[in-house]
Amino acid sequence: MGYFDVDDVLADAVEVPCKFQLEVAQVGFLAGQPGESVARNSKLELPLWLARILAIVGAGDGEGDGDGDTPFVELLPPDTFAARVMNAVKADPVALDLHAVSPYFYALAVKWVNLFSDAELGETVARLLLARAQEINSNAANVTLVERTLDDLAGPLASRQNGVHHSSPFMLTMDEWEKTVYKEAHEAYRDSKKWLLQ
Amino acid sequence: MALPAHLSQTFSPEEIQFLVENEPIKIFPRITTRQQVKRNHGDDRNGFRSTTSWTPHRWRMITTDEAPLNNMVAMQSTNVALWIALLLKQQAKCNIIAPEWLTVKGLDRSIQFEQTYPDRFSPLPWDWLVLSEILFKRASDDFHDPVHELRNRIQDLREMRQVKVLKGLKYLNESHLQLDNLSLLEINELRSFIVNIMNKLRDIHNAFSVDEQGESEDEDISYGTMRDSSTNMS
Repeated sequence: MGYFDVDDVLADAVEVPCKFQLEVAQVGFLAGQPGESVARNSKLELPLWLARILAIVGAGDGEGDGDGDTPFVELLPPDTFAARVMNAVKADPVALDLHAVSPYFYALAVKWVNLFSDAELGETVARLLLARAQEINSNAANVTLVERTLDDLAGPLASRQNGVHHSSPFMLTMDEWEKTVYKEAHEAYRDSKKWLLQ
Repeated sequence: MALPAHLSQTFSPEEIQFLVENEPIKIFPRITTRQQVKRNHGDDRNGFRSTTSWTPHRWRMITTDEAPLNNMVAMQSTNVALWIALLLKQQAKCNIIAPEWLTVKGLDRSIQFEQTYPDRFSPLPWDWLVLSEILFKRASDDFHDPVHELRNRIQDLREMRQVKVLKGLKYLNESHLQLDNLSLLEINELRSFIVNIMNKLRDIHNAFSVDEQGESEDEDISYGTMRDSSTNMS
């Protein structure tokens, strides 16, 4: 999670639903109507980095010392953390297609939990992570030390017939962060096995 | 930062082998490098100098540490670093003595331990997997026990320990992990996985426990700094 972490930047660019609580002039381009103003109570999808600021910073309505400022937007819960998804998470973490829910699920979850101090969501996500970690590990430990042959280039079918390529359906459901974890773990297992068999 | 991540954050098995080769091991030299050789075995306790005579060799090994290498006497066991033992072995100048745990008897005891305690690892040395592999490869004729039996037992041990590790991974948490008696190679292949998972668990945990404990005193510094970085983000 550094400044140059591409996945972190991409996770910040994920759009979340917001509701405008004030009428804001001249920002119609956000809704695809350049030059117009955005009306109060209209719903828009804004990238998280923008929505986060707008949900904190407010505009004074003329009177008061700033305490009573209304934030520009109110964040609405995104589909990623809808009850439907959370129920699926609780039911069977491993069978869940996390990549379909969001390719940056964990990064988003951490940001969301941070914003709302949502301990319940945090604990659910931690349990989900732990359950999926076992599956990631067992997939990563599955090492076949067969040199890549020309058959691999012929396509997935040819290599599957040779028993070279073991790809479980689970690996298609991993989110981007899980993929990097899998890759690093797999490389470590492969190196050890290679060394032991050399 | 010049190294790629997988080399800067963890060891490669080759690097572990390099570390292990610096460990001392017992050998039976077949050559004598000691300058003073006792000719008279009668009363060497009374006067060391009087009963010895000089038989100067034409060569000496260049070492920073005089003691073991230039004091080898044929068929008297001595401790040297593993890498030099392997070099001498390669030139048929010594026999390597397998450590006590690397015998059929010793390994059976370890296997027994692994079976008796389902939640603990047997106290093997930190380099057991690498050392046994090196010795099987380079000094297989120095074992008193048949090598294939030793190999089988090492393999059994490794598998039993892997099963235990898998069981342990279900209880990963954001703060604490104890891996007693696990060897460097075994830890190494799990390192990146465990570190990644624990870091993420801590991220999640910190994200929602910031506010609850924000008012209380910082219990330790590392937690305090973690909290600072996470609050800066929002």
